[in-house]
Amino acid sequence: MQKKLIAIIVVVIVAVAAVLVGWQLMQTPSPSPEARAIKIGLVACYDKAEGQDMDRAAKMAVQEINDAGGVWVEEWNTNVDIELVIVDTEDDSTGKSVGPVTQAVLEDGVDLLIGGYTSSGTLANQVVAIENRVPYIITGASSSLVTRRGPQGNYGGLPADNQLRIEDAEGMSYMFHYCTTTADYSKTVVKFFAETMKPLLDSTYGFDSSRNLRLAILYRDDAFGKGVKDDSKAIIASENLPIDVVIERSYPTTATNFQTDLTVVKDANPDAVYVVDFIAGTAEIIKQGQRDVGLDTVYIAVECCEDPQFYTLLGQYGKGQLLESKFAPYAGPPFYLSTIDTYVTDYQAKYNTLPGMMGADTYDAFYIAKAAIEAAGTVDKAAVRDAIESVSVDQMLIITETGKIEFSTGVNYHEIAPVTFVEQLVWNEAAGECRAVIVYPDTAPGIDPLKQADFTLPEGYEPGSP
Amino acid sequence: MSGIIETLLWGVANGCIYILLATGLNIIFGVMKLVNFAHGQLLMIGAYVAFTVSTAVGLNAYLSILMAMVAMALVGVALERLTFRRVLGTDKLNEIFVSLGLIYVFENAAVLLWGNKLKQIPNPLQGDGLFLGDVLIGYDRLLAILIVAIILVALFVLLKKTKIGLAMRATSQRSGTSMLMGVNIEKIYIFTFALGAALAGAAGALYGILLPFDPGIGALPTIKAFAIIMLGGLGSIPGAVIGGLLYGIAENTAVYFLGGIWQDAIAFALLIIVLVIKPTGLFGEKGE
Repeated sequence: MQKKLIAIIVVVIVAVAAVLVGWQLMQTPSPSPEARAIKIGLVACYDKAEGQDMDRAAKMAVQEINDAGGVWVEEWNTNVDIELVIVDTEDDSTGKSVGPVTQAVLEDGVDLLIGGYTSSGTLANQVVAIENRVPYIITGASSSLVTRRGPQGNYGGLPADNQLRIEDAEGMSYMFHYCTTTADYSKTVVKFFAETMKPLLDSTYGFDSSRNLRLAILYRDDAFGKGVKDDSKAIIASENLPIDVVIERSYPTTATNFQTDLTVVKDANPDAVYVVDFIAGTAEIIKQGQRDVGLDTVYIAVECCEDPQFYTLLGQYGKGQLLESKFAPYAGPPFYLSTIDTYVTDYQAKYNTLPGMMGADTYDAFYIAKAAIEAAGTVDKAAVRDAIESVSVDQMLIITETGKIEFSTGVNYHEIAPVTFVEQLVWNEAAGECRAVIVYPDTAPGIDPLKQADFTLPEGYEPGSP
Repeated sequence: MSGIIETLLWGVANGCIYILLATGLNIIFGVMKLVNFAHGQLLMIGAYVAFTVSTAVGLNAYLSILMAMVAMALVGVALERLTFRRVLGTDKLNEIFVSLGLIYVFENAAVLLWGNKLKQIPNPLQGDGLFLGDVLIGYDRLLAILIVAIILVALFVLLKKTKIGLAMRATSQRSGTSMLMGVNIEKIYIFTFALGAALAGAAGALYGILLPFDPGIGALPTIKAFAIIMLGGLGSIPGAVIGGLLYGIAENTAVYFLGGIWQDAIAFALLIIVLVIKPTGLFGEKGE
């Protein structure tokens, strides 16, 4: 009797369990038929080394994310892959950058855009994203106007009749700047000159401490160049730094011959030259300055030059010269962040070259997009925008002030708070080209020490007039 | 003061490149009455040819100028036979559109063959020079000026002292009469185009020795070469020489005194002033 009871109980339990499992299975939702790959457009100038680096980094990030299972989208109840949509802006001129972005937004139906290169190109093509409410994580374009030219950024200080002003506050809320601005890195550069180079000049050449460092700014005639020049002068003035801008010269963006401009710079007797251009232009200026004009000074390049092509183009003319950056693939291994060790190793293994800075921003941006879409649970563009606004993930390849990637907590336009530094190039016989060491600042938040060596004046350096 | 002297020297060196380009264009226009807007692209291809023989074969940069001239002369023969010959003497618009089409053909071919990154011909004299006081005079500039002078003397001898030069001049002045006098006009046209292309090739090689270049460098020099031959006078070789020097110096002094963004504006302002004062240019010649 007892055995029979036990058997009945077991049967009942099994039956109930079977019913429960069946019910549970009935309740587990299957992937939504709407599920599809997430389309992310990479806005890059494939004509240039920077764009090719962005492309490689994007492909690496997408492959990593997809191989790890893709992106979880709650409303579709499934993980989906990222589909990379190429948005080739060729040379990123204003005229060529709008069409490809329009096609990506209106015809390809991208869910999100990542990239952008020149400030002028991005200021033009972002209008398409603004008007169509497409989240755009801008990883190039260091002009702060890309996020501040709307009402929430007080129009970036633009006068009322300036055509760059955007009145569409909601549209501007879809813009996110994952990049240093001209003000960010100009501050690092002028502070380096004031805090590190000036004392060294004073002690080396017996200059009076009241003598200001003589700085020349040679910049391309576009929004990027003017932005760096204006921000540098503003920071020098506002912080009362011991620097005199003895000459500021602009040149056409198409220029490849800088000899006469450099001659004028040489006549101004500077202690250092701040070169504001992209890879090819900067390398030419540094080479022509030393080789053709005999301007044996300290040249400092902007971070967009952090690219293998820059080191190759400079060759021996890079010795002792400076590069402001926020990502230093030539200053290791070991690197100041373990994430960079992994990234550089994987990138080299995949592409047989070192990565550049433009790609590093891009790589991070894909993970920001993934985090935001998973937090939003949907690819609805407004929800994704809200999720990017509140994203808070650990820093990856770019150092931030808080160690977290967060977009302007407390302000209405969306920027990160990156940490930038100054590298000095040193000749590496084995590599047959220069490598970098970080010379300023000493530390960064959570990284102590950051500095790898003291700054030294280049061989043959000639200071400006006393 | 040293800065302006160096600037003038660069102006002369750059002007020498313009002289070769404008002289080639002028010869082609003078003899064939052909307007070739793709002439600057011949300069660009010449630079790449010199770059290739310098880097791949290891030929000295200055010897590569000769290779560029030979290669571009052959390209010139092919161009004349395969494209311009077909439209020569028809509506002027046909010649213009053929040359405009060739711009894209050459530029895209260059991107395909050599990529679009800046290149420069390895130059053994690069960075070497002598200081006269504070003035740095680069040996490569001096040699460029010397080479152009030699080419111009050779061209002068060719045009003034040889039979083919005589035939070219005759064709330039009265092509119909020249034909009646037994000049083979077709051969003169081929030779003229090859000579003009060879001069563009030499200009390109010198450009590549002195300055970095990419597939887009041909466009502006073409316009400048046209401006120079208008400045110097259509059909005038001495005019092209003086015009080229004036252009190079004007450009560089404009950059020195006013800034790089004024480089092209000042040079073209000079052209307008000369044409307003002397519409035939400085050394304008009358022809057919």
